[in-house]
Amino acid sequence: MDPIGRGVEELLHELSVMSVNGHPVAPLGGPFVITNYMFWLLVSLVVTVVFFMVAARKASLVPKGIANVAEAAVEFVRDGICIDVMGPEGKRYFPFVATTFFFVLFNNVIGLIPGAKAGTGTMSTTVTWAVMVFVVYNYIGIAKHGFLGYMKSFAPSGKVPFVLKVYVWILEVISHLIRPLTLSVRLFANMYAGHVTLGVFALFVVLLGEAAGAAKVAAVLPLAVQIVMYAFEVFVAFIQAYVFAILTAVYIGGAIHAGEH
Amino acid sequence: MTGSLSVLGAGLAFGLGAIGPGLGIGLIAGKTVEAMARQPEMAGRLQTTMFLGIAFTEALALIGFVLAFVLK
Repeated sequence: MDPIGRGVEELLHELSVMSVNGHPVAPLGGPFVITNYMFWLLVSLVVTVVFFMVAARKASLVPKGIANVAEAAVEFVRDGICIDVMGPEGKRYFPFVATTFFFVLFNNVIGLIPGAKAGTGTMSTTVTWAVMVFVVYNYIGIAKHGFLGYMKSFAPSGKVPFVLKVYVWILEVISHLIRPLTLSVRLFANMYAGHVTLGVFALFVVLLGEAAGAAKVAAVLPLAVQIVMYAFEVFVAFIQAYVFAILTAVYIGGAIHAGEH
Repeated sequence: MTGSLSVLGAGLAFGLGAIGPGLGIGLIAGKTVEAMARQPEMAGRLQTTMFLGIAFTEALALIGFVLAFVLK
């Protein structure tokens, strides 16, 4: 096989789910093992907890340093995501939205450290979160409107032919069922694709650097692209956390205000 | 032989799947900039809506991306 193909193979193997000491994992029904992704997920959880504990240690009217960063971030989630999307009653669901936001954010950012892995870079994490969001927002909708009321809210009210009502209701139910799928695939694919892209450009740098003679100089080109891509991936890490949290807020907001449109 | 065809299919699945969302995201961003230029005071809300629109559009490209890996 050519060196590029071998490198990509190695890269994909590196990104696959393995146990911490590098053994392959049985897909389902095998014994419980801590996988590499689980390990970095736990690391990011510890980092999150420590970050907020340090930030909350000294509460003051004028926050300084790390407390200031934490306060700005929390305020952004409360005002920029919860209240903006769900209205004033969105404050009630702020803890859940903030938890999803900071979980995804810290996992994404920690995954960018060379050698580390993003806890959100595997389907099992993102599907778990997406299913949880699905259950939570439907629970909120059912608790607020009752089961029948919530189900009825999917169909348009007013003077609409009955056949059309049934048709729209079926479409709405399907779109709700697809939500956890798109929510999880979006986050996973962004993280995975980002890491593959970074890996491929790193591979180009290494392969060109090993080349004989003047061809070595060409390694500067993929290196420049690599630096730009890294900056872009940092941006993507924040944007994806924002998108995940804002979609959670939109879904919960839709469940609260069901039947008003 | 079947292996190389499936690689071709994976490439096509991602390549063709990226066309539509690429156009869509470009349209969304362009129209948002247009709207922001008209009404700068609405920039905050427009941005939120833009990211939402991009997120929904992007999902289609990502399905193609995952499909490419499944086919490979």
